[in-house]
Amino acid sequence: MKKLCLPLAATLVALSLCAGCVVQDDPAALKVMGKKTDLEKPYMTEIFDHYRETTGNALELIEVEDASFETEALRRMGTDKAPDILLHFHNADLMRFDVEENFVFLNDEEWVSDLTESARAYCTDADGNLLGLPFWESSVSGCYYNKTLLEEKGLGAVATQEDFDGLCDTLLKLGVTPILWAGDGCSWMPQFGLDPIFADDADLLESLNRNEVGYADIPAVADMVGWISSAAQKGWFGTDYRKTGWDGISPALASGSAAMTFIWDTWFYTDFTAGKYTMDDFELMPIFMNTAKEGTYEGGNLNMMMVNAHSERREEALEFLRFCATPENYNVAFRDISTVSVFQGQTTNIQSQMVTDAMESIRRLERVSTASTKILGYSAEDTVDALSRLMQGRLGTKECVEELDRARRERAKNAGAEGF
Amino acid sequence: MGESMRNARKQLKIVLLSVAAVLVIALVVVIGAGYFGFIEQQSSHDAERHLKEVYLQVNRSFRSFLDRNWGLLESCDDYFTLAGGETESKETLEKQFIEDKKEYWGFTDFYFLKPDKTYYSVKDGLGETPLKNAPQTLIDDKKPVMTQEKIGGKDLTMFAIAAEGEYDGFAYSAIGISYTNTDVANALNANAFEDENGKGTAECYIIRPDGSVLCSTEMGGGAMKNYLTYLENLVDKKTIDKIREDLTDMVSPDTANEGDYGFAISGGKDGETHCFIYMPVGYEDYSLLSDVPQTAVSQGFLLAQRATMRVFLIISSIIAVAVIGFFIYRIFVQMRQSKTELQYRERMFDVLSSSVNDIFLMLDPVKEKVDYISPNIERLIGIKVKTARENIRAMAACAVDRNIIVPNSELKEIPLGESRSWECQYMHQATGERRWYLVTIYRTEIGGVEKYIVVMSDRTLDKELNRRLQEALDAAKSANEAKSNFLSNMSHDIRTPMNAIVGFSALLERNAADAELVREYTRKIMASSHHLLSLINDVLDMSKIESGKTSLHVERFSLPDLLEEINIIIMPQAKAKGQEFTIKTQGNPPEELMGDRLRVNQILINLLSNAVKYTPEGGKIAFTVGQQDSSDQFVTLRFKVKDNGIGMSEEFVQEIFQPFSREKNSVVNKIQGTGLGMAITKNLVDLMGGVINVESAPGMGSTFTVDLTFARAEDDAEDKWFTKRITRMLVADDEEEICLNVREMMRGTGIDVSYVTDGAAAVDAAAKAHAHNSDFHVILLDWKMPGLDGVETARRIRERVGKEVPILVLTSYDWSEIEEEARAAGIDAFMPKPFFSSTFFQTIKPLFCGPSEEEKAPPAEGSMEGKLFLVAEDNELNSEILTEMLAIEGAKCEVAPNGKAALELFERSESGYYDMILMDVQMPVMNGYEATRAIRASAHPDAQTIPIVAMTANTFAEDVKSALDAGMNAHLAKPIDMDAVRKTVAQFLDKTEKGEDL
Repeated sequence: MKKLCLPLAATLVALSLCAGCVVQDDPAALKVMGKKTDLEKPYMTEIFDHYRETTGNALELIEVEDASFETEALRRMGTDKAPDILLHFHNADLMRFDVEENFVFLNDEEWVSDLTESARAYCTDADGNLLGLPFWESSVSGCYYNKTLLEEKGLGAVATQEDFDGLCDTLLKLGVTPILWAGDGCSWMPQFGLDPIFADDADLLESLNRNEVGYADIPAVADMVGWISSAAQKGWFGTDYRKTGWDGISPALASGSAAMTFIWDTWFYTDFTAGKYTMDDFELMPIFMNTAKEGTYEGGNLNMMMVNAHSERREEALEFLRFCATPENYNVAFRDISTVSVFQGQTTNIQSQMVTDAMESIRRLERVSTASTKILGYSAEDTVDALSRLMQGRLGTKECVEELDRARRERAKNAGAEGF
Repeated sequence: MGESMRNARKQLKIVLLSVAAVLVIALVVVIGAGYFGFIEQQSSHDAERHLKEVYLQVNRSFRSFLDRNWGLLESCDDYFTLAGGETESKETLEKQFIEDKKEYWGFTDFYFLKPDKTYYSVKDGLGETPLKNAPQTLIDDKKPVMTQEKIGGKDLTMFAIAAEGEYDGFAYSAIGISYTNTDVANALNANAFEDENGKGTAECYIIRPDGSVLCSTEMGGGAMKNYLTYLENLVDKKTIDKIREDLTDMVSPDTANEGDYGFAISGGKDGETHCFIYMPVGYEDYSLLSDVPQTAVSQGFLLAQRATMRVFLIISSIIAVAVIGFFIYRIFVQMRQSKTELQYRERMFDVLSSSVNDIFLMLDPVKEKVDYISPNIERLIGIKVKTARENIRAMAACAVDRNIIVPNSELKEIPLGESRSWECQYMHQATGERRWYLVTIYRTEIGGVEKYIVVMSDRTLDKELNRRLQEALDAAKSANEAKSNFLSNMSHDIRTPMNAIVGFSALLERNAADAELVREYTRKIMASSHHLLSLINDVLDMSKIESGKTSLHVERFSLPDLLEEINIIIMPQAKAKGQEFTIKTQGNPPEELMGDRLRVNQILINLLSNAVKYTPEGGKIAFTVGQQDSSDQFVTLRFKVKDNGIGMSEEFVQEIFQPFSREKNSVVNKIQGTGLGMAITKNLVDLMGGVINVESAPGMGSTFTVDLTFARAEDDAEDKWFTKRITRMLVADDEEEICLNVREMMRGTGIDVSYVTDGAAAVDAAAKAHAHNSDFHVILLDWKMPGLDGVETARRIRERVGKEVPILVLTSYDWSEIEEEARAAGIDAFMPKPFFSSTFFQTIKPLFCGPSEEEKAPPAEGSMEGKLFLVAEDNELNSEILTEMLAIEGAKCEVAPNGKAALELFERSESGYYDMILMDVQMPVMNGYEATRAIRASAHPDAQTIPIVAMTANTFAEDVKSALDAGMNAHLAKPIDMDAVRKTVAQFLDKTEKGEDL
């Protein structure tokens, strides 16, 4: 009986170690680790298959359940179980890995010049080191406005915060809700205002993340909060913005009851339903939230292929990245995928006309998604909660900024961040 | 008529007042409109004049701004041309020159332009994309231009002039400077139209005739792309078309004039009145247009207008309020009056309805709700007013027969103004009391609204009265029918014996010589006469009972004697029809009772006579007396008469005690009767506090049960010492029940009763006792026993035991026929059935004690031989009959035709002359009572002693009492029964002779 129990126990331990991941034990294969859902994206499976077919090389995909991915990846790195390539977003979680120690900086790769500016910026750390190859679908978040509606009112897109405010006033005077602000559960809008503050000042972000400064020390944060408060009070967000959720955005824009909203281009492919106005009536201009005089766009969050610096097959891994970054290969993978181009040579993807038309402005004003990904302790829910109370008049601008700080610090502290 | 006139006058007054009010209001409106129109016109003129003055100045200023900028560029060009030296030094100088100018003039950048619209920015270097709008005229015609360009994503206003040269290696053919919209707008600002916060309210634009905007003073003017399009969302099209046309005309070389300007005023959708002033800038087709709120332009006018309007409104409001208040007051007063009247009426109606039993309702058939309901509904039907109001169907639930209630659908068919009625009975929900109502629903219209007025008129009393009347009518009809029937029956029943009497009297006269026939006819005449008499007695009896004049005479009586009398009467009748009649006792009923023996006798005789009458020949009639209930003082006896006769139908049993009722017509049944017997019986039983019941069915016979309660009579202290010599007794009867009954009766007397059920056994028993020298002290034998009958049994007993033992025969039958044979056979005495101990002791007492003195004395025969009677009788026939009858008895009489004559005869007579006076009661001159009182009061020596006997047709107990009260000694009823006369005479004459008190 005892003899039988030992192998059984060993098996159970082995199984428990592999819990949540699928391992194909092939010593010759290049090991690529990522979230199961990420690795199953069509363009990912396409590039993997294309690689295998083209090179004859083997790939071993380590698919980890989303919930246990971070833990599993951290546990493996630095061990002989570590993958050769790790798929990871450039976000706050990545800071828990010793990036400098564990991953290869890719600054010198030839394909770097083919990356769009925003994609390159997204994948670069504070010191200007490129951490990975962005191989993901992307989008541009900005102020999508109903060009036809504005023209019907004798109005047009604006280029400054002052003109944007004037536009909002004029639209309101003409009976149109200027900005569709989805106040019920839609938490992405505030981060667009914060992006310019920290994307344009890496030192400030670093100080914030070291808890050397807080929001209250940054006047631009108060400017944004004050603008939101003022806009709400003036009626720029309409009267029912607190009840408007995800499902309310499309009807309001399609009917023309609202003229603009802060969202991303692919939303029009996934959630917009044409009404009086169709997708062709919309164009893109920068987001104005009183933190960037000429406005801002937010680039997409991109999954990066990062090469394990300690991998014995590091060169093969770099070769794999080069394979992926080759136009003829990534154009195979992203064929008919709705995405903003990550590579300049991307031609087979579907990029919205709105983005194309605004590309010059995007190149100039696009910021990497910073607030939601790089501010330690940032919580979209906390931000929305505090801003909701602000718009209800339960908090003043100063109190709202303090509340945002308090919540951020508490979360950072709970996450064990240094300095909190 | 007067009311309608008043209403018409009132309506006319209201109409006139309304017209006057409308006219006043219309006048005020017209005056107000005229006044405000005038003010508005003046305000518009004022605004135009004011705006024109201001914006001509602004326009000049802007044009100057343009010229200055172009002049600046020319000075720059001059400087660049004049600047010499090394290229590097030249560029440095030029750059410094530009920076100085920029700082002074405030432009955003300086540009060097090529004909291909590429440019070089002093600030940013070579431009990424060529300019879009810089007109070719700048290069070709060398004219200065003002244009709008998007540079670096910003909308900028660029001023440029033709100038050739090279800067930083960039060969140019024009130079320019740019301003932001705000910078340009500063040149357009007119500080004349600021609001109370010092904020400018005027918007100023530089636009083309198509509405496209070069720049504006509006914050965020960058968003404004086409002002006229924008304006389409704000003001009416007419105003926009005018502005568009004016703008075109003002800049067209053909139509433009010096000093042109345009003005328009229009209400905006934003609630503001917009004043538009516009004039050509004098550069290309650009015009300056300003949009100023009228409130900012004509503030003085508007203030005055507002103040005037305020005063006007206040005055108008006061007047309107006063007028409205007056009307409201009038309406309120009228409403109050109406309400008060309504309340009075309602209260009056409530009081009225509460004092009557009629219910009133008003219903709304459409809403199915109750508008009014009289408060007496709770008292009359037991439903609360609130309940009925909430649910009118609750009333329907109170109807005894809900099917009677007419449904709503049918009510709707009642023509308007008409009504429908029906009767319905309702039950009080609390007490269960039922009331009849005549429900009448009037379908009507009140104020154009359909209503049902419901009147529920109480018909309970009417119904009750009708019912009673109907019952009375039915009773009267029934009584009439009964009496008609009775008369018919009586006619028949009276005529039948009368026919016999008359007929046989005629035969008697014809055959007077034939003694045998005379006796036969006389007997039949007598029989018919007796029947006729009984008929008359019954009718009179019933009449007396119905008139409530019957009273009971309670006295001590003997039950055995009563039963013996009944037996004597009924047995012959039964025997005549060959019926078996038996009398039995059950238990041990007391023998001495207190009661009206005659009435009890009458009851029982009636029942038994009917039993005999309605039982066919050979039938059986059983009469049983039993003790039902008893106490120390009272005993209830049950008398049961059972026959197996023709019986009665169930219907007749219900009516049997009604007067004049006979089941079948007597003519058909050929059974004589008055139809009063059972009614008399029932009334007598009721009079005694008893109960009579009957069970019967056709062909099954009838059983009548009478329960009567009597007081027990005190035991007489008769000495029964002789019974001490009797200790053993033998009873022989084939009915063991009778034997046992005898034993029961003798319990407690010390006499031991043995019994046998046939004659032979009795002989044996007697013989055995004799052999043992212990003879029975008395032997009681039934007469009619199977085998040896009583007589034969007695004979044989005598043969065996000798003559010492007394032998008695117990029988229901008349023993006179066999008495001689029986005594010869050794029977000592006879006893009637049923057996009673008292009868027994009376019977055997002479056997043990010898006969009493009374018994030894010869029976008084009442001989009237040689007696003289004074007869007071007004009827000659009656006096003749009496005279003849007395003569037959050997007596004489003197007849007085009235009481007075009798008195006189008596008074004139000597003492002892008359033996007795027979006094009729109803006589002329002086009636019998008065005559008797007079006789008794007279001084005649025999006045107190002479027997006076009433002899009258007044036969009621009251009559007897009256006679005795008047001083008479006895009462004899007519027709004269000589036996009764004989007995009475004997009684009184004997006493008179003995000198005893009468």
